[in-house]
Amino acid sequence: MRARRAFAALAAVVSSTLAHAGPDDYVVMPTVEYGEREIELRIGAVSADDGEPRASAASIAFGYGVTPWWATEIYGKWHRDGSTSFDAIEWENRFQLTEPGQYFVDVGFLVEIERPRDRAEGYELRIGPLLQKDVGPVQTNFNVLLERHYRSSEPAVTELGYQWQVKYRWREAFELGAQGFGEVGKWNDWASASAQEHIAGPAIFGKLKLGGRHAIKYDAAVLFKLSDAAPRQTWRAQIEYEF
Amino acid sequence: MPRFVWLCLLAAAATAFAAEPEFTLAIRDHRFAPAEIRIPANQKVRLVVDNQDATPEEFDSHALNREKVIPGRTKAVIFVGPLAPGRYPFMGEFNAASAQGAVIAQ
Repeated sequence: MRARRAFAALAAVVSSTLAHAGPDDYVVMPTVEYGEREIELRIGAVSADDGEPRASAASIAFGYGVTPWWATEIYGKWHRDGSTSFDAIEWENRFQLTEPGQYFVDVGFLVEIERPRDRAEGYELRIGPLLQKDVGPVQTNFNVLLERHYRSSEPAVTELGYQWQVKYRWREAFELGAQGFGEVGKWNDWASASAQEHIAGPAIFGKLKLGGRHAIKYDAAVLFKLSDAAPRQTWRAQIEYEF
Repeated sequence: MPRFVWLCLLAAAATAFAAEPEFTLAIRDHRFAPAEIRIPANQKVRLVVDNQDATPEEFDSHALNREKVIPGRTKAVIFVGPLAPGRYPFMGEFNAASAQGAVIAQ
């Protein structure tokens, strides 16, 4: 009963505008590496339809695996759309809810709070389950995320988005796969198909061990529009130093 | 009646968990003991890793898609499989020169 009340309260809090997956967005994993620290750089660029200027975004983060089930990360985010400007501070929290391989799917949960520089945007909250399933050497991820602005000047709605990833774990230093991101609109009243944003494309991944706790991880993707409202092409890349 | 259904589900879940075979692997002086552990192929198993050293170690296996930090003098459970027959190497990432091993699924 208590859990049901908590869920109802959460649903009420998270119920209000279609957010867009930024070009520096990434597929969040449901696992936590306890005690691991990381410095992360994410970059991305969007080529819109003909005639529109190219936009890009970047973020730098520091993350830490605080407990075996909780990892937290602080991001500084910038975007370039003609000129470069600071965009937001983001606080990401990942919770590992199941041990990898214990159940049919591995489950985690994301709670992310962003404070845009433009105070009129208020605060942005993004939450949702993170799912992973391994089948032999193939790892699949699917995340369903709800996003909503609070204390913003515009009326807020809760939007539904998703991320997915499939990768073939070939060599640790180089793996191949695909990624996709999408936004469907208000969580309980989806936008028309032409107004939804869906992008997907090939991706590469890898981890280079440097000895001891030190390693460099990377992933990069080229994503193409799958719906009318989506940008024509999105490039994204992420590199992190773990120590 | 609902209570009976819940009890049946709980019993079934308990049976399912109990059915997973358990294997133990120790970390001692920054080495795995045994260095090779044999498990049944095509079956999920619980691998209990007992870190007997005072320092933490990270069980790391790209082949098994597992990474887990085990603090000093603690145990951790790592779920492995079901695996096709074969050899799946793992290592202790913090002491990779000595901490090397493999799961043999057969």
